[in-house]
Amino acid sequence: MIGCGIDAGSRAMKVVLMDAANRRVISAAAADQRPDQSELAIELTGQALKNGGVQPQDIKKTVGTGYGRRVLTQADTTITEITCQARGVRSLLPNAQVIVDIGGQDSKVIVLDVQGVRDFAMNDRCAAGTGQFLEMVAQRLGFSLAELGVHAARSLQPAVINSTCAVFAETEIISLLASGMTPEDISAGVLRSVALRVAGLSHPGSTAAVVFTGGAARIQGMDKFLSQALGQPVVIAPDPHLTAARGAALFACEQIEPGHRGRDE
Amino acid sequence: METADTPLTYFSQMIDHCYDYAESAKAQGRPIVGILCEFTPREIIFAAGAVPVCLCGGSLETIPAAEQHLPVNLCPLIKSTYGYHLQGTNPFLEWADFVVAETTCDGKKKMYELMSAGREMYILELPQKADEPDALAHWIKEVEKFKAYVEKKFHTQITDDQLRAAIRLMNRERGLRRELADLMARDLPPLTGRQLLDFKSIISGIDADLEQYEKAIRTFNAGAAVKTAAPGSPLDLSQSPPPVRVLLTGVPTVHGAERVVELIESCGAVVVAQENCTGIKPILEDIDPDAPDPLQAIAEKYYHLPCSVMTINERRLESLRTLAARFRPQCVIELVWQACLTYDVESKRIRRFVEDELQLPYLKIVTDYSPSDSGRLMVRIEALIETVLAKAAGPARQASR
Repeated sequence: MIGCGIDAGSRAMKVVLMDAANRRVISAAAADQRPDQSELAIELTGQALKNGGVQPQDIKKTVGTGYGRRVLTQADTTITEITCQARGVRSLLPNAQVIVDIGGQDSKVIVLDVQGVRDFAMNDRCAAGTGQFLEMVAQRLGFSLAELGVHAARSLQPAVINSTCAVFAETEIISLLASGMTPEDISAGVLRSVALRVAGLSHPGSTAAVVFTGGAARIQGMDKFLSQALGQPVVIAPDPHLTAARGAALFACEQIEPGHRGRDE
Repeated sequence: METADTPLTYFSQMIDHCYDYAESAKAQGRPIVGILCEFTPREIIFAAGAVPVCLCGGSLETIPAAEQHLPVNLCPLIKSTYGYHLQGTNPFLEWADFVVAETTCDGKKKMYELMSAGREMYILELPQKADEPDALAHWIKEVEKFKAYVEKKFHTQITDDQLRAAIRLMNRERGLRRELADLMARDLPPLTGRQLLDFKSIISGIDADLEQYEKAIRTFNAGAAVKTAAPGSPLDLSQSPPPVRVLLTGVPTVHGAERVVELIESCGAVVVAQENCTGIKPILEDIDPDAPDPLQAIAEKYYHLPCSVMTINERRLESLRTLAARFRPQCVIELVWQACLTYDVESKRIRRFVEDELQLPYLKIVTDYSPSDSGRLMVRIEALIETVLAKAAGPARQASR
């Protein structure tokens, strides 16, 4: 029996299939979001089934999470990405105390306790600390999102980006380009400004074990900027873009086999 | 339910009723006085035979006009109210013989200066050191001056007996609204918080309203074990597990700006207490109608209002403590209108108090009247509710997570 977790994020859709008997991931699939989210979820689930060599009828429960969770027709239940993220990360890194998640349109700091989520903070109506902002900057500089980190790594003196608003930050970047600042220094400055914005949401406490998740965690060097901004080490979760979908799959497995404890850790 | 939802149906037409009431009052020669804050003593307005109407703006529509004069980064309630002033689209404001305002937050205070160009405004100076005897003495003076202004304006003498009658009327209204609010203390509240909010009228002391309050209380007390919320409510009060009980605190959710209450209740929670100016906050205390000096008694009651402009606002913590004991919330949500500095800054103390003393999960929401962030707010509210439910399910189960 399989539990299926679908994370309908603002920028990407992620699907994780999990064996309810042993809480092991069978397969996963991810793709950029589309307007027809439910269709995309079905396609990705099909892909994951094929990759895992399992049958559609083996999926007994599906839990939807992420921004588009409510429109997923195949989800039996929905759980927020905050709860799923905590669940997914805990199952991989049981000692995690704080999760910093930078996704497409949200950044979050989730504080964990022995019972799960203790507290969380999210960015308000502002894109300046999000993956979307990074994409916008990369596009402006003529890079892909992945290249942004590569270029940032070559910077000797990261630019100072002051704006707390993505729109003004873009203007600031245009002026920096016009003044002859290198794309490397601008890239590094932007990654640093995002890290500072997220660190400003909620300070995890200097001794807490911080885990970094979300699509932005896959950008090379982003973790170093985050670590600098927080003043403490940061561990990137394995497959950091899939942890919320993994948490959703774990909840789905729990619905199939309630009371099954501990084995996923 | 049929009898129970009659008062609810009645209050779904609240603005229309107030319109008719004010229009006919005006036709009978009764003056209309606009008010913009719960610190304004309605009793004095009633005692002069006038009708107090709340003018706080809850509409997104009037904000763009207001932003031509006011900073964009200002509280939406201030902008919306001012937008109505500019556009002349609030009939109650247009009917008002004058508007009484007060020096609470700086945003309102300075907006009133702009509004006074073209409108008759009377400003009450509100001292802000809550427990200072000198401050109260100053406030009593302010209330006396206000009474004299009203008397001169409406060519009347306000007698102590008229003040006592007005106190009795407002006590009756406050008492009935408290009884309605108290219904939410039940394990299974017979109303949603959104429905309770509908019972708040922008005009106080309308006989027909008070009769509907009594009718609603009778119906809900008759038991008839109301298991579901009234039709049209997104919340099923008989759901299992029962809805998570939320104490809402912070800024008022004036007519038209009830979105956050609706969002909370569409996530399977019920707002059992509203510690704000549209909720229970201004109606917790009554006034002794037989006090030797009724005017002083009025001033004292209003001065006790635990608004975030007060320093140090200890009464708000006391109030939250009392409400938490009475309504047994499982979490506290604080609503702050964007750029409302006093509530935003005070939220730090409130969070600490809620987490440390009440030992409840706390969530702060900062937003304005635009629905563009509803999806994102839902994530936070739902996550809070999931956290409450997970903790209620017991540590043993959670420990495995």
